[in-house]
Amino acid sequence: MRFPDRLFLAGLLATIGLPLQALAGAESVREDIVSRLRERFPAVSPAEFAHGAAAFDPGRRAMAEERTPAPGAAEALEAGRRIWTRKFANGRSLAGCFPNGGRRVAAAYPQYDRRLKRLVSLETAVNQCLKTHGQPLLDAGDPETMGVVLAYLRSLSDGRKVAVRVNTPQAEERFEEGRRLYYTRMGQRNYACASCHLRHAGDYYRGAAIPAPVGAAAQWPHLRDGRAITLQMRIRECLERMGAAPFPAGSDDLAHLEFFLAYLSNGLAIRANAWRPPLVPGDL
Amino acid sequence: MRRRARLLAAAAALVATTAWGQPGEGLEIFTRPDKGNCVACHEVPAGSGPAIRATVGPRLDGARLKTWDRARLRALLVDPMIANPDTVMPPYGRHRLLAPQEIERLIDYLHALP
Repeated sequence: MRFPDRLFLAGLLATIGLPLQALAGAESVREDIVSRLRERFPAVSPAEFAHGAAAFDPGRRAMAEERTPAPGAAEALEAGRRIWTRKFANGRSLAGCFPNGGRRVAAAYPQYDRRLKRLVSLETAVNQCLKTHGQPLLDAGDPETMGVVLAYLRSLSDGRKVAVRVNTPQAEERFEEGRRLYYTRMGQRNYACASCHLRHAGDYYRGAAIPAPVGAAAQWPHLRDGRAITLQMRIRECLERMGAAPFPAGSDDLAHLEFFLAYLSNGLAIRANAWRPPLVPGDL
Repeated sequence: MRRRARLLAAAAALVATTAWGQPGEGLEIFTRPDKGNCVACHEVPAGSGPAIRATVGPRLDGARLKTWDRARLRALLVDPMIANPDTVMPPYGRHRLLAPQEIERLIDYLHALP
């Protein structure tokens, strides 16, 4: 075999081999976490983990069921629908930027965009659309705007199963970055996300059961006091209460964390706008 | 003369407060979200603190804590990762969550648990 042919073959093998290796990486991480949780909680199914603290706390579960639909859900959905369908000056709308007006799209987000060379979360996709049409962007940390838009958009995928793909080396790198952040100790209290949510899932922290990482990306936004709290907003709150400077709203760091969590939730049904209780001082 | 005596008495009271703390100060540090927030992870015997369900760390009581002398407890509160690098307990001293005096008051509280 001549040198250029060998080079071609090596390149081909690398191209074929890397995604397979990459897939094995994310999937093996997911399987390991799922199996550890199954070992600790044989009576709790992965689908139940999506209920957060309520998966471990029958009292909390009963409260959540009594509050279904969550107080304020109808108002949040209507506010989100208005922004979603509002016509821009050019006659387009947010709904026009997404296939089927946004129906059944949420399950595949976040996703790696080869052209942009970055992860695109639903927040990013909404703001990309607004930017394209010369509209002011939404604050990814604001429940009144981005929160309600995603409350509406995610509700269009209610019941669909999370199906986030880590199918290229680039996507694998982002998954790995999300995993790294999840396991990194941060802030004055020196916690990593994994310190509580993985090692102590199901334990009680200041009176509340700690949710598991599997399922964390299935049920969001939450409705808390009628406000739509996205997964990224919730992560920022948690970081702040850990004594860490939260990653900026809409940042790549938050998208990486969300990507990691969303992949762990693959196969679990999306449920937007479930009730969650108010945060109390000292809780995370 | 009487004025000087009053001043001396006030100064003595201030020194005593600073050195030994107010009663309940340790409990406050144990409980306050912006201080130890120890109550988030540890339960204590009934009547010794708030009855809040907390199972991240072990239950704390006199029998357990009396086997820990002040120096050992202090070292744990300053930086628990020295003894256990995997612990989830915050490094109260190293990360300046608590001042040295507050750590002493917390030790008083822990040693007084039944």
